[in-house]
Amino acid sequence: THQTHAYHMVNPSPWPLTGALSALLLTSGLVMWFHYNSTILLSLGLLTNILTMYQWWRDIIREGTYQGHHTPIVQKGLRYGMILFIVSEVFFFAGFFWAFYHSSLVPTHDLGGCWPPTGITPLNPLEVPLLNTSVLLASGVSITWAHHSLMEGNRNHMNQALLITILLGLYFTILQASEYFETSFSISDGIYGSTFFMATGFHGLHVIIGSTFLIVCLLRQLKFHFTSKHHFGFEAAAWYWHFVDVVWLFLYVSIYWWGS
Amino acid sequence: FENKVPEKQKLFQEDNGMPVHLKGGTSDALLYRATMLLTVGGTAYAIYMLAMAAFPKKQN
Repeated sequence: THQTHAYHMVNPSPWPLTGALSALLLTSGLVMWFHYNSTILLSLGLLTNILTMYQWWRDIIREGTYQGHHTPIVQKGLRYGMILFIVSEVFFFAGFFWAFYHSSLVPTHDLGGCWPPTGITPLNPLEVPLLNTSVLLASGVSITWAHHSLMEGNRNHMNQALLITILLGLYFTILQASEYFETSFSISDGIYGSTFFMATGFHGLHVIIGSTFLIVCLLRQLKFHFTSKHHFGFEAAAWYWHFVDVVWLFLYVSIYWWGS
Repeated sequence: FENKVPEKQKLFQEDNGMPVHLKGGTSDALLYRATMLLTVGGTAYAIYMLAMAAFPKKQN
């Protein structure tokens, strides 16, 4: 068997099957949890989902880093895939911004005809939210520092800058979690809390996913997986991190600042 | 940390017909079987639970 083209012919993989079955376990697990207060199926769904994700992405690292299947033409496909994924995420968040502006631009008289609604005490945008903004902006700088260090082959700087980026991400998550304890409104007591927690909560989830992605990159970097010319896994994590950063800027300006 | 990439490349590029998800050795096979067992077994259990939920017993 001699391959005369640069495309990646993948091995048959069990992970799409186990992933689909684990999705069924997650959804039926939620039904059983809501309906019978039983968490067995849901736990099974979460466990098999994590197992599938771990092994699927482990195999992609094997194919790329160890088997050399990620040729320039294959990397081009990976780039398009990541771009399309991030575009789909943009639309996901656009929905929450639509709900927020729909509710806040012309507030109904039930709310007192004003925004924030009567009786709502919003968070002060110039306190922790402003700190969070600078933390994420700084992490955008440090990840660029990491990328340039990687391209220049400066291993120490790359490790430091990537670690700093991850620590800033974790700091953001801790600040957001502590801020959630400070709010005088909840997700279930009106449109203000609903739009606030829906948008900022999903953003927080994305920060946690992005931090995990960056932690995987740091582990791979420590294990010498990235070269100065071939490191798409890191670039994808950086794109994703910038996306999460930009969403925060929109959240900050719209919900925390204008909306208060 | 030492650079183990070259030996991993040798291991995973070996021409032994093994699919990539099992090429790493025994731990791969164990993890694969555990995942298959849990998902397939769990799916059977889920269908059983959903069927039970669809036909509730009459309460006297």
